[in-house]
Amino acid sequence: MLSQQARVVLDTLLPSEAHPTLRSGIFDTDFDAFWLDVERTALPAWRWGFHAAVWAANWIAPLLIHSWPPLDRRDRQTRERALAAMEKSRIYFLRQMMGLLKTIVCFGYGADPNVRDAIGYPRQTDKPRPQELR
Amino acid sequence: MIFDGEKERRPLDETFDYVIVGSGAAGATAARILVDTGAQIAIVEEGPAVTTVEFGDRVFPAFRRMMRGMGAQLARGRASIPVIQGSCLGGTTVVNSAIVWRIPDDVWEPWKTEYGLGDALPLEALHQHWDQIERELSVRPVPTGNLGENNRLMEVAANRLGVSATPIRRNEIDCRGSARCSLGCPYGAKQSMLVTYLPYASERGAVLFTSARVDKVILDKHRAVGVSGYFHVPQYQRNIAPFTLRARKGVIIAASAIQTPGLLAKSGVRSSHLGEHFQGHPGVALAGIFDHEVNMWFGATQGYESDHHRSDRFKIETLSMPPELMFARLRGVGREWVAAMAQSRNMALWAVALRAYAHGSVHPGFFGTDIRFDFTPQDMINLRKGLRFTAELLFAAGAREVITGIHGMPERLTNPEQARLLETGPDDPACYLFALTHLFGTARMSVRPSEGVVGTDFCVHGTKGFYVIDSSIFPTNLGVNPQHPIMGVAMHAAQQIVRRDG
Repeated sequence: MLSQQARVVLDTLLPSEAHPTLRSGIFDTDFDAFWLDVERTALPAWRWGFHAAVWAANWIAPLLIHSWPPLDRRDRQTRERALAAMEKSRIYFLRQMMGLLKTIVCFGYGADPNVRDAIGYPRQTDKPRPQELR
Repeated sequence: MIFDGEKERRPLDETFDYVIVGSGAAGATAARILVDTGAQIAIVEEGPAVTTVEFGDRVFPAFRRMMRGMGAQLARGRASIPVIQGSCLGGTTVVNSAIVWRIPDDVWEPWKTEYGLGDALPLEALHQHWDQIERELSVRPVPTGNLGENNRLMEVAANRLGVSATPIRRNEIDCRGSARCSLGCPYGAKQSMLVTYLPYASERGAVLFTSARVDKVILDKHRAVGVSGYFHVPQYQRNIAPFTLRARKGVIIAASAIQTPGLLAKSGVRSSHLGEHFQGHPGVALAGIFDHEVNMWFGATQGYESDHHRSDRFKIETLSMPPELMFARLRGVGREWVAAMAQSRNMALWAVALRAYAHGSVHPGFFGTDIRFDFTPQDMINLRKGLRFTAELLFAAGAREVITGIHGMPERLTNPEQARLLETGPDDPACYLFALTHLFGTARMSVRPSEGVVGTDFCVHGTKGFYVIDSSIFPTNLGVNPQHPIMGVAMHAAQQIVRRDG
């Protein structure tokens, strides 16, 4: 289950109706089901990394723009500025955390059929060839 | 016959002539040669057997099932760099872009003159092996009709700038240009080991053990007589049952430059060179935004390349990424990030692959394998030169913007004159989004035991029947894609082993 703080971070990263051709936000996709799959099947390092990145986004990112944490108590504009500052931070660790967060988010978001349709990514329609290996 | 370790519940103890550890380019090629002699072969693969019908178009399930560390294996240094390796039946050949290069002369000459390996790895014999492999794996340049716009644009750029660039030679039959090489070819068109040499060996009696992790090579008075390990669930790294596979004639290690040194160390091999001299080809990609649709998801995953700057130790390759990976490398938050994603269909993605001077190391660590890799100052100079060249190519092809993704640089370059900024960009590797592929050198071959781990007979120094034939024995990196060189060397090694063992 995603925490409320995680939901706010993710919604700030990928809001709904942010672009006329790519209208889906993160929670317009089935990200909760994806995250459940991650929690059940991914290596622990993935989950720990995600939670660490969400924590950094909530409690450290606001400080970078001289705002008080946690992030989820700020308005959207402030949240966006804070996360953008984290992504551009001079501290490599914070940039890595943001990179990790975006990577995991994109593994769910980029796999969504509506998102893929919006950018013209083809669906896998052909039947695979039978494998010769016995 | 495939023996799926994930379904096994009982301990197993069997005997073969040869036990091959690893089913990728090296292991499968050795098996392909050895089965022709009538030898009984076991091929042991740590990863699972994933068949063509299981290959999908989403990244997470593919990484979870087929990539080492689910794609999160990292090299540490001034920058943390993902080290990309397949971990499934067929190894990295299942998830690479099927690119075929022979060992260039300027690589082989120092192997002969500086390292004394001219007799162990004779170039003439290697060329004969490559001829055979290219016939058997249907190697050919990407046909024009299969290029797709991402690849075709590099041809346009090269013609405009007057630089050399060519369609990439690949091992494939009837590629449909789905640009999904990195997730496993869903049509079986890529001639990976999974659909070529492993079925060949299996049909001739070789037994394939999958989800079977070898922990140790068993030595009896310096002779390798078998391996021991565990059947396991690779995804969860959970052991199921132990196994012992005994070898009448020898054990052949083909586990890659990352796994081989750890296995040798656990088996009692001691050398100051073991795990050292780790080399690779780190890469950084740039995206060009075009006014027209590029749709990088149509055409060969990697279909065009420029080796124009080989003397500067970098090569430029086109590259197609699935949306998940493409989105993740774009900068921005909220509307800005989504707007960048929405431009994806107009993006071309080209990467600099660097023949780095850097020597890292691979050793057992507290959290698993500890990979260290730090760039030399000259590497960073060459990288920045390569990035400038790539941006110039993208602009020459008609890009209206180039997305750098480099910390401390403008996120977008908007005219060709700005390409020169990349050459004066940051010298801190942590500012760049690297990926490290093509891994070499952690158990390098040497004439004398004092200079390496493996002898010119492919046997670990001071042992018998304990062979290493993967890219860990390469004394240097190559500057070109290594699958074909690895296969040529493995084929030569297997023939030498057969000749010696009768």
